[in-house]
Formats: sequence, structure tokens, C-alpha cells
Amino acid sequence: MALPVWQQLRTELHPQGLEIVTVALDLEVDAARSWIERSGADHPQLVDTAHKLDEVLGVVNVPSAIWVDEDGVIVRPPHTAAVERYDFSKLKAPEGLPDDLDAHIRDMLEQVKRIPRFDADHYVEALRDWVEHGAASEYALSPDEVVRSSAPRRPSAAEAAAEFELGQYLHHAGHVDDARAHFRAAHRLQPDNWTYKRNAWELVSPGIQGPTEFYDGDWLSDIKAAGPEHYYASPGF
Amino acid sequence: MILQELRVTPDDLERQTGWELKPEGLCKDDRCVPLSDGTDGLVDVTVVAERLGMPLVHDEAHGLWALGPEAGGRVLASAQLPPIVLADVDGRAFDLASLRGEKVLIAAWASW
Repeated sequence: MALPVWQQLRTELHPQGLEIVTVALDLEVDAARSWIERSGADHPQLVDTAHKLDEVLGVVNVPSAIWVDEDGVIVRPPHTAAVERYDFSKLKAPEGLPDDLDAHIRDMLEQVKRIPRFDADHYVEALRDWVEHGAASEYALSPDEVVRSSAPRRPSAAEAAAEFELGQYLHHAGHVDDARAHFRAAHRLQPDNWTYKRNAWELVSPGIQGPTEFYDGDWLSDIKAAGPEHYYASPGF
Repeated sequence: MILQELRVTPDDLERQTGWELKPEGLCKDDRCVPLSDGTDGLVDVTVVAERLGMPLVHDEAHGLWALGPEAGGRVLASAQLPPIVLADVDGRAFDLASLRGEKVLIAAWASW
């Protein structure tokens, strides 16, 4: 989880005029609570229980970041924000699992290893450059470039946003079972939106996000279908 | 936008979608589409959905609709950050517009 890294960057760059706002895309506030309370962050830490950032900004996966200048103008639309350094090549399944679960997790880890990783150091350098140079930074896009490089709003993606909105509304109103039909519709309409999928799967299959009677897809099947190389879009620099 | 009825006040529509009812029609930024309210002062959401290319999805059992965002073009119609108000873990609302004057990095993450 990248929260401690965002806090370090905030400590470094806040004196130069950067604020960081973390937003947890979590239907359940309590799922995010312990991470947030442990982070010790002194910047705003918010929870988007409706995944509104997907609809209004075009977020489809995490971690994603958006850069906004002093006038409230976006200078980089949602992009993969890799600020943590991981070595995924050594990932191993825990010992002593039942055979079927063991095979499923091994298969998941093989996919995880094929997900593209981006250079965290380069990302942080780009961020420092923008904080120092503002619009003159090569990493700050013009308003036209921001609009052009934001996600296309296909009719199916717009409908997915409406279905997810109904689903989260019913979920929070206590109609957890009835919400699922709308989450399922959102998954079908916008298959490349991983926040809609993963949050819904997590609620019925915690940790594994495996196949259930409730949803047509699951993490392993869907990442194989999409290709793990497409799981994260390049941040563009 | 969640709806329990398909006729809404212009104020509700504007607060939730940013589209404002003016004499010339329904307007947002520099875009306007022809539309007027009914004799009861309410706006027919099915007409709004059709004119603006917004999906309108229904949950029959609960008598609810959701009006989605305009389809077509790009998610960001302009580079101006749209209004975003979200709560912290204690339910306190925070308006991202309150950070004008600072550079802001919005970092989306999740527990899952």
C-alpha cells in the first residue's frame, strides 16, 4: 500500500506548494479505515464509497493519480501512479494451502508477475519537476492535451457509471443482494474498469476475488482474458 | 444522479449534473441544448437523457433510476477539475475546490 510513500512525498513537497489528497475507492469505509488511521498522514485522506472518480475523471484502476494546478486546472489526467518499489519476481504462494486454493493462488501470482511495472524513481522525479517548474515542466500538459488524453466516454462506459451508481446506492441502503445485478451490469458494460470489478468481487470473495455465483467474472479469469500486460496503462512518461 | 421520480426541479438537476436551465435551454460551460421546464416548473429527466446522450438506468423493484454522464467525446470535457466533494473516514465532507492556490496530487488507491 502506497500511503506511507505519499506521506513522505507530501512532507518533502508541501513546503514547495504541493498538497496530496489520497482517495480510497472503497464501497466500505471500514475497509479503508485501518490503512488510513495507521498512515499518520497530515494531508486530507478521503473515501470515495461511490467510485465517483471513475465517472467524473475516468479512473479505472488503482493506483492512479491526477495532477491539478493552483487554479484548479488538471495538468495530468488519471494515470498509473507507481511510487512504490516492489520485487514481484520473488512472490510465492503461502505454504500449507489446500490444493485447489494453492493452484489458484499460484496461477494468480504468475499473472501478477506479468503485469507491467513502471519506474517509481522516474515518476517521483517527474512530480518534483512539475512542483518546481509548474506549467513550464515537460510533465505538465496543456488544457487541450489533458482533454484529448482523458479517457473516451463510450456510451457503454457512461451506462456502466449509471449502473454502478445504482448499485452503490442500493448497497449503502442495505440492499446488498439487489446491488449485485447493477455491479454485474457495470462489469459487462465497462470490462476494462478494474475498480468496479475488484471492489465488488472483494466483497464476496475477500483476498482472492475468485469465482462466485454472484458475478460473471473474477480476477484471475478476467486478467487472463484482458492480458496482464494491459492491466496498467503506461503513465505516459 | 439517483432519482425516485422522473421529474425533477431545475435546481436539483443543476446541483447533481452541472446542467443549468436557462431561457435558451439546458446549459453547461458554453454548451446549450434546447429544453424547457413543464408548466409545473419541473424538468422531464427522460427528455434530458435523450437530448444530452445520458444513460438512464432503472431498478424496478426499488423504484429508482440513475442518470449517468453524457456519452461521447472524452470523460474530461474541459481541463477544469469538476466539483468533487468526498468524506473522510469520520464522515466529514471535504471539497477539493478548497485547495485552490496549491498544486494538488489526487492519489486514488483502495484497500482491496
